Amino acid sequence: MTKDSFLYVVVFTFLVAFVFVFLIALVDEATSERVLLNRERATAEAFLNAVGIPLEGDVRELYKSSFGQPNSDGIVTTTVDGRRVVARQFTGNGLWGAVSGVLALDPEENMIVGLDIISHSETPGLGGRIEEDWFKEQFRGELIPPDGLRVMKGEGGMDMDQGNGMVDGVTGASLTSAAMETIVNDEIDMLMKGADDE
Amino acid sequence: MSDVSPRTVLWKNLWTDNPIFVQILGICSTLAVTNNLANTLIMTVAVIFVTGLTNVTVSVMKSLIPRKVRMIVQTLIIAFYVILVDIVLRAYLPEISKALGPYVGLIITNCIIMGRAEAFAQANPPAIALWDGLTSGAGYMGVLVIVAVIRELLGSGSLLGFRIFGQNFIPWTIMVMPPSAFFLLGGLIWVAKTIMLRKEAE
Repeated sequence: MTKDSFLYVVVFTFLVAFVFVFLIALVDEATSERVLLNRERATAEAFLNAVGIPLEGDVRELYKSSFGQPNSDGIVTTTVDGRRVVARQFTGNGLWGAVSGVLALDPEENMIVGLDIISHSETPGLGGRIEEDWFKEQFRGELIPPDGLRVMKGEGGMDMDQGNGMVDGVTGASLTSAAMETIVNDEIDMLMKGADDE
Repeated sequence: MSDVSPRTVLWKNLWTDNPIFVQILGICSTLAVTNNLANTLIMTVAVIFVTGLTNVTVSVMKSLIPRKVRMIVQTLIIAFYVILVDIVLRAYLPEISKALGPYVGLIITNCIIMGRAEAFAQANPPAIALWDGLTSGAGYMGVLVIVAVIRELLGSGSLLGFRIFGQNFIPWTIMVMPPSAFFLLGGLIWVAKTIMLRKEAE
C-alpha cells in the first residue's frame, strides 16, 4: 500500500483522528470533577461576596451553612445581623454576551446588600471592569429609589453616596454600563416580588 | 532549508525572521490579548508550548503523513495541544482561564504554529523542530510583551495589576482598545526594520 493510495489516506486520517480525540477525552474525563468543583466554588464565592460574608475555609460548606435551600425562583434567604437578606444568581444580556452574577437585597429596608459578577464577556479593560471591586462596592448598601437604580456618568472613580440611587458607570463602556443598569433593575424587581411571596 | 544549526534557528526566529516583525503572522492575538501583561504572558507561554510540541509531533510523524491530508493532520495536532492547554487551565488555574476566556481556543488559528509546522517541521528532524517551535514562540512572546507593557502602563497605569502611576494619572482609554495595538505594532515594525536595514547596509 503506497502512502498516497486512497485506502492509506482514509485509514491514516481515521486513526490519527481517533487517537488524538481519544487522548483528549481521557484528559477531559480525568479533570471533569475538578472543573465542576471550580465552578461550584466560584458560584458559592459570588453568593458569599454579595451578602458580605468573609470567605474562609471551604467556601462550599460555608455557602451551604449560610443559605437555606433555594425556592422555586432560585432565591435563597439568609440572615445578616438580624436582617433578612434575599439573593439570587442572575443572567442578563451585557453588550457582547451574557453577564451572570449574584445580587443580594434587604427587602424590608429596600436596600441592595451587594453585587458580585461570576462571568461576563465584556471587553477586557473597558466593560470588563464591571468585575472590579470599585464598581461592585458602589452597590453595597445603596438604597433603591422607586423608579430604579441608575448607572451613569458620575464624578469619576466611585459613587459612595448610598442615598442618591446612582452608581458610577465605567468610563469608555457606556453600553455595558447601560446593560448593567437594566440587568440590576430587572433583578431587583424579580427579588422584591420573590421576597413578598414568602 | 540551508542552515539549521540551533544558533541560526534561534537568531532567525527571534530577529531576522521574527514571526511578527518580518512574517507578520499571528497579528490577531497581538491585538486582542496585549491590553494586560498577565494575560499576555500566559497566552504566549501557551503558544510556545503548542508550537514546540506541534513541531515535534509533525516532525516525528512526517514520513507517515500522506501529502494530500498534510494540512488537515497538522491542524488536528495543533487543535489537540490547544484543547489540552484549555482543559489544564480550566482545571488547575480557573482564574486565568476566566480572564483569557475565548482567546485560548483561538491559539488554534494562530498562523505562526501552522507556518512553522509546514515550513520547518515537515522537513527537519524532531530535536531541531522542537527548538524551532520554542524559539518561534519566544520571538512572538518578545514582541507581545513589549506591546503589552506599553499598553497596560498607559491604559491602566499599572503593570501585572500593580499600580505604577499615582491616582492622578488619567488612563489613556485608547490603549486598552485594539486600535492602539495597531499603532504600537506599526511603530515597532518600523523601528525593527530600520535597524535591520541599517545593519544590511553596513
